[in-house]
Amino acid sequence: MNISIKQLFGRKRKSSSIAKQRLKLVITQDRLDVDDRFMTRLHHELAEVLAKYFEFSVNSVQMSLKQEGNSYVLVADIPYKKFHDLNPRQ
Amino acid sequence: MGKVIVVTSGKGGVGKTTSTANLGTALALLGKTAVVVDADVGLRNLDIVMGLESRIVYTSMDVIDKQCELSKALVKDRRVDGLTLLAASQKNNKDDIQPEQMKAICAKLRTTHDFVLVDSPAGIERGFSNASAGADEAIVVTTPDVSAIRDADRIIGLLQHAGIEPINLILNRFSPQLVGNGSMMDQADVLDILNIDLIGIVPEDSGVITSTNRGIPLVYEDASPGSQAYMRIARRLTGQRIPIPDLEEKGFLSNIVNWFTRNR
Ligand SMILES: Nc1ncnc2c1ncn2[C@@H]1O[C@H](COP(=O)(O)OP(=O)(O)OP(=O)(O)O)[C@@H](O)[C@H]1O
Ligand SMILES: [Mg+2]
Repeated sequence: MNISIKQLFGRKRKSSSIAKQRLKLVITQDRLDVDDRFMTRLHHELAEVLAKYFEFSVNSVQMSLKQEGNSYVLVADIPYKKFHDLNPRQ
Repeated sequence: MGKVIVVTSGKGGVGKTTSTANLGTALALLGKTAVVVDADVGLRNLDIVMGLESRIVYTSMDVIDKQCELSKALVKDRRVDGLTLLAASQKNNKDDIQPEQMKAICAKLRTTHDFVLVDSPAGIERGFSNASAGADEAIVVTTPDVSAIRDADRIIGLLQHAGIEPINLILNRFSPQLVGNGSMMDQADVLDILNIDLIGIVPEDSGVITSTNRGIPLVYEDASPGSQAYMRIARRLTGQRIPIPDLEEKGFLSNIVNWFTRNR
């Protein structure tokens, strides 16, 4: 059964808030399509910085923009091989 | 030196031409000089919405083709001082004009007018590039529904990319009743999604339709809510600080009050 008690007895969720939630999601995706180059650049620059700290393959990096509640979250999945030793003993 | 403002939207039929006609007239009523430019080549409407359709002799196409001087193509609105219209050609299509040519026309018009309002066709194609080519600022018109807002976001992205700033939003056909009962997004929702500045909210008003039937812009009728909304937006365009009134009807009590007042 997928119908919750709230749906049965309470009021249905306002259609305006459903509209807002759907719009936010779809617009996030639309904006990404408009600016694909931005994500590519971010991908490269992020990889450059991270390479200082650990070893990983650039092609294995997965990046996406997601919406969580009211905010956007950048999720980066970077399978690393090993951390560099940043404080090598003299 | 005047300002060039493009009035645009992603989705069609949301009120660009209505807004251009009323804001141009309102600015003139406030003592400014304004020229309204129809950039919807092939589907011109601004002339008929303003009631000037019988007086069009030349269009922007004739100016571009050097068939007449720009000043000669401007139709003076006789009802108010300082308002003129530059019509679009109905015989041509959008590809017959280059963005650079529109830019040149706007650059000339701004030397003789405080405001140059360009009524853009809907969409993201050539008509949009032509209309926005000479613009410093933009007004994006949207209604509070999902498709209009999604398309508005796309247009805002293109305007930002073109370096047009500021980009202000008109929320048109707003219904306080529908917002009150939760079936229409309110201004906070829309602004949260689009993230640009709101310059005004125009309520759903049957006066818009009747005034368009007559060819007399709504702002000539002082009492209507749509007219007052457009007058406030025009004042904001001139730099006056006018707060945006809360048009929402919230809660049960105000609905009852409304029911009684409406059924008197
Ligand atoms: N606030 C309003 N209240 C009631 N009707 C409105 C309102 N605004 C616009 N309309 C009506 O909506 C219709 C479309 O308006 P308008 O022609 O201004 O839109 P547009 O964005 O210029 O359209 P297009 O994309 O075709 O150029 C018209 O019939 C107009 O009278
Ligand atoms: Mg129009």
